[in-house]
Order: sequence, then C-alpha cells, then structure tokens
Amino acid sequence: MPEREVTLDNEVGLHARPAAVFSKAAARFSSSVTVVKSDAEANAKSVLSVLKLDIQKGDTVTIRVEGADEQEALDELVKLVEDL
Amino acid sequence: MTTIEGLAASPGASVAPAVLLANDRLDLPSGPIEQRDQEISSLEAALEEAAQQLEERASESSGELAEVLEAQAMMARDPELFEAARKSILDDRAPAATAIVDAGEIFAKALAASDSEYLAARATDVRDVAKRIARSLLGVPEVDLAQLPQPSVIVARDISPADVARLDFEVVKGFATEEGSRTSHTAIVARSFGVPAVVAAAGVVDAVEEGVVVGVDGDAGVVHVDPNAKLTEELELRSERRAQAQRELAFTDITHTRTSDGYEVELAANVGSLEELESARHMGARAVGLLRTELVFFDRQEAPTKEEHTELLTAMATVLDGGRLVVRTFDFGADKPMPFLEVTDTSDSALGVRGIRLARAQPELLEAQLRAIATVAGSGAKLAVMVPMAATIEEVDWFVDRARECGVVDAGAELGVMVEVPSAVFLATELAERLDFLSLGTNDLTQYLHAADRREGTLASLQDPFAPALLRAVNAVCRAADERAWVGVCGEAAADPAWALTAIGLGVTELSMGAGSLADVHAAIGATTIHDCRAMAQRVLLAESSSAARSTAQELLH
Repeated sequence: MPEREVTLDNEVGLHARPAAVFSKAAARFSSSVTVVKSDAEANAKSVLSVLKLDIQKGDTVTIRVEGADEQEALDELVKLVEDL
Repeated sequence: MTTIEGLAASPGASVAPAVLLANDRLDLPSGPIEQRDQEISSLEAALEEAAQQLEERASESSGELAEVLEAQAMMARDPELFEAARKSILDDRAPAATAIVDAGEIFAKALAASDSEYLAARATDVRDVAKRIARSLLGVPEVDLAQLPQPSVIVARDISPADVARLDFEVVKGFATEEGSRTSHTAIVARSFGVPAVVAAAGVVDAVEEGVVVGVDGDAGVVHVDPNAKLTEELELRSERRAQAQRELAFTDITHTRTSDGYEVELAANVGSLEELESARHMGARAVGLLRTELVFFDRQEAPTKEEHTELLTAMATVLDGGRLVVRTFDFGADKPMPFLEVTDTSDSALGVRGIRLARAQPELLEAQLRAIATVAGSGAKLAVMVPMAATIEEVDWFVDRARECGVVDAGAELGVMVEVPSAVFLATELAERLDFLSLGTNDLTQYLHAADRREGTLASLQDPFAPALLRAVNAVCRAADERAWVGVCGEAAADPAWALTAIGLGVTELSMGAGSLADVHAAIGATTIHDCRAMAQRVLLAESSSAARSTAQELLH
C-alpha cells in the first residue's frame, strides 16, 4: 500500500477547481485512493470528502493508494498536486 | 392585500402572477420501504440524470456560474454522497428521496461549519443538488424556468445561479426574495437585465401562494401581495411607462444625453460579459464605461491569451458600433484567487496586491490585454483602457510606458486610470497631464476614504455616496483635471439620478452604471439645466452630512 506526503503550494489549496481536478483524476484509477490530513481521511474520488478536509495552502497531506494500478496512480496524483 | 418591506435591489415596478420557487418545501416520505434494491437503482438513475442535466447547463453557461454548475454535477456523481444515501436505504429502509436529502445534509453541515467562505457556499450547492434529485425521485415537477407560460414575478427564498441561468427575461417581470442583498447574484442579474427586484423581504415566501398577483416596487423596496385595484393600476402604469421608455431607448442611443439647455453628458454601461452588453444595448447603452475584464475570464485555469482578449473586444466593439468601450485591465485581488496568478497575497483585504500592483508583478498579463487593445483600436474601434488601483505617479508612468510599447497609443486608444485610491485624488493634476481620462471608482474610493470595509454591513453608513468627503474628492479631481483630461464615474453612485446630477454639476462628463438605471438618469438629465446642476453642486459641497447633501441634491429632481 504505497503512500507519499505532499505539501500544497498553490494559492487555494484543495478547494474550488483544484479539488475538482484532483478528484476527477483519482476517479480514473481502479485503485482506492485516500487523502489523509492530520487524523482525518477522505476518499480522493469524492470531491465532497476532499472539500470537507479543508486542505489549504501550506498543508501537508498523505496520499495513499491500494489496488492494481497503485504505483501509477500515486505518481500521477502526487505530480498533479505538486503542479497545482 | 399585504405589504412586505425589503431592500430595493433593482429599480422599476411590475405586477404579475407569482411563480413560487419553493426550493425548500419538499414533503419527504418517511418509509420504511420494502424493495431496497429497487430504491437504490432509482436513486442511481436520478443521480445520473441530475449530473447530465447540470453538465449540460454548465456547458451553456460561462464564468462563475459555469463553475458552480460543474461543481454541482460532480457532487451528483460523488461516490461518498451515494454511499451515505445507499447505506440509509439499506440500514434504515429509508425512501431514496429522503436518503439523498439526509446524505446531502451531512456533507452540507460539515462544509458550513468551515471558516472558509468558499466551503460554506458549497454547502448551499450540496443541499441544492440533493433536493433536485429528491424532486426528480418524487416526481415533483421542476418549475421550468426556461418556459414560463406567462409574465411572472419570481418569488423565492433566494435564487440559485443554476436557476437564474435558465430565466427567460421576456417573461420574468420581477423578483421578490426572502434573502439576499444588493450585491447578491439575483440583484446583480436583475439590474443588468432591467427587471425590478426586491430582496431581503422577510416573510414573502410564506405570504405568497402560487399564481397570486404580486406587485414588485423596486424603487421603494416593497412587495405588495394581492394588491388592490388602485395600487395595481399605479404599478402597471409605472411599469408601462418604463417599458415604453425602454422601447424608445432600444432604438435610440442615449450615449450622448443632453440637459434641457444642450450640455452634453456621456452615459455608458458597466458590463462583465458579452451577454450583459447585448442586454445593455437594448436599454439604450451604446458605450461601455467599465468593462470588468476579470469577470469575463473568471473561470479560467490558464491566463487568457492576446487572441482571446482580441476576440472578446472585437465582438463587443461590433455590438457598440462606434460607441466608446472603456476596458479596465484585470482587477484580480485576494478575493479572486485565480490559478494563473503567481503572486502570493496573504493580506486577504482590499489593500493587497491587486490591480496595477499585480500587473507590475506579472506584466505579461497586462501586456496581453494591451496588445489586444492596440489590435482592436487599430482596426477602427473606439477603445479606451484604464488601470485599477493606481496610487503613485511612478505607477502611472510605468503603465503609460507599457501602453506605448504595446502600440496602444499609436492605435489611437485613450489612456486613463481608475481614481479609487485616495492618493490618486491628491495627484490628480499630475495624472491628468499624463492621461486622457480619469474614472472615479466611487465604491472603492468611498471605502478607502473612510477606512471602512464595504463588506462590513454594520459600517454601511460609511459607504454612502453622498458622504461629504467623497463629494469633495470628486470636486478636487474635476478641478485638478481642469479639462486636460475628461472625468468619468463608474461606481454604483452614478446610478442614483440625484448623485449623477451633482457629479455633472461638479464637472464629470461621463457616467457609467448598471444598464437598468440608464433610463432614470437619462430622464433626470434631460429635465434640468447645466446651470442648475452647477448651482446645486456648489450647495451640496457645503453639506456637513450625507443626509444634508442628499436632500440638497434631491431638490433638483422635483
């Protein structure tokens, strides 16, 4: 179950469009994708759950994936967040 | 007959049967249900249908509205929202409609608890989506706003952007809403389409039954439920007079309005999209005094290119057909964090990195706009460009240099600045020497003069356009410009006929406003003389309070 930490560096964090873009990207993979902020977890494929975490600029989150395409999913999603 | 007081949000009067957008009234069944699998598959079908409808509507919209609709479509496809509803169908034998509303409420509550204004607004979106799905499951017909059968007044708690997008302004005669403010979405749309509106009318939803005749008095800020014959006649007469005036305006051009003794003033519209300009054109506007370019590109991930700016300005110049188009360069600030802005502004205030400050940090954004302006002006359109938030002479020199480099001056476009930072008032002589025009942004200038946040409701009295300090600032700018540069106004203040006449008396020669107010201001100017405006303005300048200034100015209207 690979996971990686990533820090949000863009202005709005995982709100608005970035949240939508992120969830849509996660939904393309068959693996389950979880975002962890402090103690709270969210299904990355659910934009509502991601919004609920209220991830802001400067926050560090862990992205955790599990399933057939887990490595590919992790690489792509981490890159997406870094490029926001 | 009942009368309900609210806030006057868009001028004019109308009477028509009510269409009730009962977004909040849903009789949810309680269950328990028998066929759980069947309930789940109808829920799935309803979710998919809603998602498709929302996506379709998003693709027909633009800007902020399209973004809201896309977000709502994603919510309808959200796996956790579905899972929460599915669980309550399975565990509690809840009917699908009830399950989805409850599931939506769980997410809405969590979002509403956030400190972020953005997340709190999404709470409304989730509730809206869940209720839309419940209505479809229960077979409650959605009022088809796109096809209202007859002239109607829309009565609602508030009107969602999704609903506003579908309104047919041929048949919508007025708005009466329980919530909202003068700056809420409904109010802005009503003003730009010239439809009377009263907002914050507490109790209006309960007082109105579907089909009951409702009178909207958007001048007095009052809603009349089931008005008597005399009142109905009066409102109809006012509505007819206004419609008549607007029909006449649609075929005329009130850009060049004259006082009864022939003094010419330019009237123009404030717009934020091509659609808004087309509607303004039907209300007599053939000039734009403020194009809010940041609103046009509000939904963008990437910075707009020179070609996109050119396309927009060309389309607008075609509609204006020779009328002047004043383009305000991007006014993004901390309140509008765009993905393509690199500047980190943590101040979250009106005093941060915005307007020309942002342009200096990311000059490529300004240059794309300036080059497009040069191209379109070069092809013969009458263009002017102004930069917001100018505070120093050095900034203005920088802007003039960039404009020259990009070919704006050679192409014949006029250069100006927004006068909204108090320092610019004191530098107006030097600015007028360098520029063709100065445009007073009265909303921000008032807030900065008084150091009072305009979003703070309890400080509303410090946002009064008749404040003596603001009027003296307008006077100072007109004296400093001394006909070397023309002086315009593009704030909400220009839409008030008494204020407009005061500004004209002080020397303002261009007034730009929401198009719905043009007819009133046009009529007020035609009914007076420049001599009377000047004499009145001198008396208004002596006033020591906003209320004294206002009543002095209003004497000229009677």
